Amino acid sequence: MNKIKSRMISVVVVLLLTAYCLLPTVSHAADVTDIMKKSQLAFLYPGKDMKARVYMRLINKDGKERIKEMTMLRKNYQEGGDQKYFIYFYQPADVRDMTFMVYKYAVKDDDRWIFMPALNMVRRIAANDKRSSFVGSDFTYEDVSGRDIKDDNHSITKEEKLGDKDAYIIKGEPKDEKGADFSYKLSWIDKGNFLPLKEEYYDKRGELYKVFTADEVKDVQGFPVITKRTMKDVKSEHRTEVQYQKTEFNIGLDDDVFTERYLKKPLKKWIE
Amino acid sequence: MKRFSLVEFSVDHPWLIISIIAIITLGFAVQFPKITIDTDPKNMLPATSDVRVYNDSVEKDFALHKDTIVLGIVNKNGIFNQTTPGKIVRITDEILKLKGVAVKDVTSFSTVDNVVANAEGISVQPLMADVPKTEQEMAVFKKSIYDNPLIVDRLISKDATTTAIYIPLEPGANGKEIADKLKEIISVPHPSLPNKGEGTEGGGYREEKGDEEYYVAGDPVARDTFGAEMFKQMGLFSPIAGMVMMIVLYLLFGNFGLISSVMAVAMISVVWSMGLLIGLGYPVHIMSSMIPVFLMAIATDSIHIFNEFYFRFRELKDKKPAVLDTMKVVGQPVKYTALATAAGFGVLAIMHIIPVKVFGIFIAFGTIVIRLMSFSLIPAVMMLVNENKILTASSGEDEAENRTARVLRSFGAIGTHQSRTTVIAGIIVLILAVVGISKINLNNNMVNWFKKGSDVREADRIINEKLGGTALGYVVAVSEEDDFIKKPDTLRYIESIQRDMEKLPNVGKTFSVVDYVKRISRVFNNNDPAFDKVPDTKEAIAQYLFMFSMSAKPSDMDNVVDYPFRKANIWVQLKTWDANAMQGVIDRVKAFTASHQLPGAEFKPAGTAYFNFVWNNEVLYDMLKGFILALIIVFIILVFNFRSFKWAIIAYMPLLFTIATIYGVVGFIGKDFDMPISVLSCLSLGMAVDFAIHFISRFRRRMEENQKQEVRSKKQEENLASGHLPLDSSLLTDSLLWTAARPGKGIIRNAVLFAAAFSAMIFAPLTPYVTVGLFIASMMFLSALMSIIYLPALIVMFRRWLL
Repeated sequence: MNKIKSRMISVVVVLLLTAYCLLPTVSHAADVTDIMKKSQLAFLYPGKDMKARVYMRLINKDGKERIKEMTMLRKNYQEGGDQKYFIYFYQPADVRDMTFMVYKYAVKDDDRWIFMPALNMVRRIAANDKRSSFVGSDFTYEDVSGRDIKDDNHSITKEEKLGDKDAYIIKGEPKDEKGADFSYKLSWIDKGNFLPLKEEYYDKRGELYKVFTADEVKDVQGFPVITKRTMKDVKSEHRTEVQYQKTEFNIGLDDDVFTERYLKKPLKKWIE
Repeated sequence: MKRFSLVEFSVDHPWLIISIIAIITLGFAVQFPKITIDTDPKNMLPATSDVRVYNDSVEKDFALHKDTIVLGIVNKNGIFNQTTPGKIVRITDEILKLKGVAVKDVTSFSTVDNVVANAEGISVQPLMADVPKTEQEMAVFKKSIYDNPLIVDRLISKDATTTAIYIPLEPGANGKEIADKLKEIISVPHPSLPNKGEGTEGGGYREEKGDEEYYVAGDPVARDTFGAEMFKQMGLFSPIAGMVMMIVLYLLFGNFGLISSVMAVAMISVVWSMGLLIGLGYPVHIMSSMIPVFLMAIATDSIHIFNEFYFRFRELKDKKPAVLDTMKVVGQPVKYTALATAAGFGVLAIMHIIPVKVFGIFIAFGTIVIRLMSFSLIPAVMMLVNENKILTASSGEDEAENRTARVLRSFGAIGTHQSRTTVIAGIIVLILAVVGISKINLNNNMVNWFKKGSDVREADRIINEKLGGTALGYVVAVSEEDDFIKKPDTLRYIESIQRDMEKLPNVGKTFSVVDYVKRISRVFNNNDPAFDKVPDTKEAIAQYLFMFSMSAKPSDMDNVVDYPFRKANIWVQLKTWDANAMQGVIDRVKAFTASHQLPGAEFKPAGTAYFNFVWNNEVLYDMLKGFILALIIVFIILVFNFRSFKWAIIAYMPLLFTIATIYGVVGFIGKDFDMPISVLSCLSLGMAVDFAIHFISRFRRRMEENQKQEVRSKKQEENLASGHLPLDSSLLTDSLLWTAARPGKGIIRNAVLFAAAFSAMIFAPLTPYVTVGLFIASMMFLSALMSIIYLPALIVMFRRWLL
């Protein structure tokens, strides 16, 4: 009995998969935006909140490295919108205990706070620098916390297999030329889980200058997570590799984790 | 007596010789399409040379760009106005679209971030997020700029009239091409204006109806413009020099067949040596691009053959014996002058600077080709020329009647009859020359290779006047300990070295990681000036730097500290490209580190300014070494040529005299002894000795002939030379005057031809060409006069010792 049942299930699965593959491919503008939205949610908003130990390796052309190690806490306040981030630094050793907090808003510039243990001082940073580097890495703030989908015009240029995964190649062009360093970018979005597998950034001359790759994707509590990613500066051959370890979702982060008080004295249970 | 059968063979089979030479020439000529060009003076030193390897490693450690162009924007009424900032934005945006520009690191008002303290904390903003519109916005903008010491003198001049855009280039980009594109961007008119404006005031470019002037400067611009110009000049002046030579030759000899053979010899030597150079796969470098002009100059030595041939032909009226006789008497000096010239350049082959080596070897090769032609092609052509035509042309060639000859004879007479006065006068000039030489200043400045008032030079001058300086050097602090640079003591030490270097008049601005730390410290502490200093703990420094890395481009940090924080890079902006300026910095740092210790660290220079300083010195000293070696070798050649030590010394005198005088003048007028002048020293040597060889060889042969006639003796010439015969002063005087008049005419003809061809270069837009033109022209005249006046004086004075 069991045998027959399982065989039937597999037949159904195969049929469904076949049907899925035969579905007409998505190509309307609305669908593109939809894909981008799904991608952003899958990439930056999984779970209600998240905690991860992040290892960041800045590697120069010579292969010399700078390591940054941190715990990153994130809480969502609005689907695809406001979020709060809290980062505690372990490495480099001389910046241990430094903390950094970001309130990300969908509609206005971020608010940021930084705590410097050497001076025992918290400073608020007003920043209008989404294109600046995130802690000296090849990622910009925008790469880390996401770019507003409405800022770009999107179109599907192609669908192709990247490795063993089917992907949409989506071209994003900034509506305001001055609003970005790139003239366009190409994103390979996994058709299955909508994570970006690869992104290529082209400068104003149309030359490739930056490449993002998702090097390892793992399932964590049912969420697909890019556990290894690389951003490579094509021109300088500098790259930043980021590894997410001990990733947990829905851990029940309180709102008061994201306050100035906790910047100075973060609770051990959250940062370890 | 003559073992050389080539001449006879050529005389007997002129067409065969011409055909063989033509075929070989064709063989070399087909190599030309393979030409590769290298205009980068950096390649003077091989990529494996210590300084380049070291500079490369510094560039890697600090993610530095090799080359940066500076676009200076000047508005005499101040740049904080309604239009200039907008133009800066537009120009920057256009620059970001240029191929070959390292766009991520372009620095201008509209690309850099500014970290400032505000009421709530800290603000990280683009320096100029939007073009300020209201007066109030402008005031805020202006204040934010002048509050940041990292920006003052770099992006804004103290008097607010000048800003700059720093444009780093990607590896392999051509500075001139990008500079040309910049000029296009700058001269695009305002959309409402119909035509393109390109002002020339001060060498800058002026946008129509704008008050702004634009200046493009920086090492890559000077270097690549020079490289490009050099090839253009070579392409222009080689043919002009050739044309002038043709005309002068026609005026001198009046026969096209003979003239074209001299020109053909020049061309053949150029084709053979350049063909060989290209065929062997060497790129044509700045130095080797000068080979054609030099070879053309050397080829004029064939004049001595024609000069004598005309005299002989008039005497003998029969072509074949005239040719053979000519070659017999002129052959020896021509062979040795060629040898001397080849030696002068050949010594460069043992130098370690490759383009210098290549230059020397191929000129030496070309010189030998020229001599080969003298003994083959020239006799062959002489055989083919119509006898009557030569007869008409050579009708004036009689040393007794000819005016030139008479003048020369009287010149010779000065030396002969007033030998003591002449020698004393010469010694006085020589002493003065030595004084002049002692004043020579070794220096090199590529920007000064452009004429005053030229775009490149003006741009450099103006930007250097207003901002920190266009010439960039580095001083690198090196330790073996991780995080050494983050120590407060290290930073304070670096800071005091910076302050010390800034005392040098040529140092415009310095900056280092210290300036970043101080800046963040101050901003973090509510802009309190008391915190404008290095903090007291390593942790505070590390955290400020971390903060800095969150508000800047990654390259900003990488440019000043290496990855493990073992090394720090101090940027030193110099206001001049004088190699001496970097020397000053190096000396200053040495003195500072000697009197103030920082255990565990050393300070080493690097960067383009340092590289220029090193390669200039290396080329200069290499040339100088080659020059001294050539002096020795030429002397040995003279000894062999005359088979007499004494005569070699006498023949050496005009050479020493000429060179001393010229360099004495260089010293007196305060012209820097730079690369082009040092290159000339080798040429001058090979050429200046030529006339003396001709003069003395011919004089001694004449003496021998005269003595034979008088004494009717059958003694061998060796005995003659060693002074076994009675000395007859009228015989001596006669022979000297004859030499001054007849071979002297060849000497003067050679000098005139040479000087005429090179004088065209005086009009060149690049100063090294002007230098080469003036230098060669004056050298030829000086050594010609020396040979004709001074040699007779010396010979008369030392006759008992010599004869």
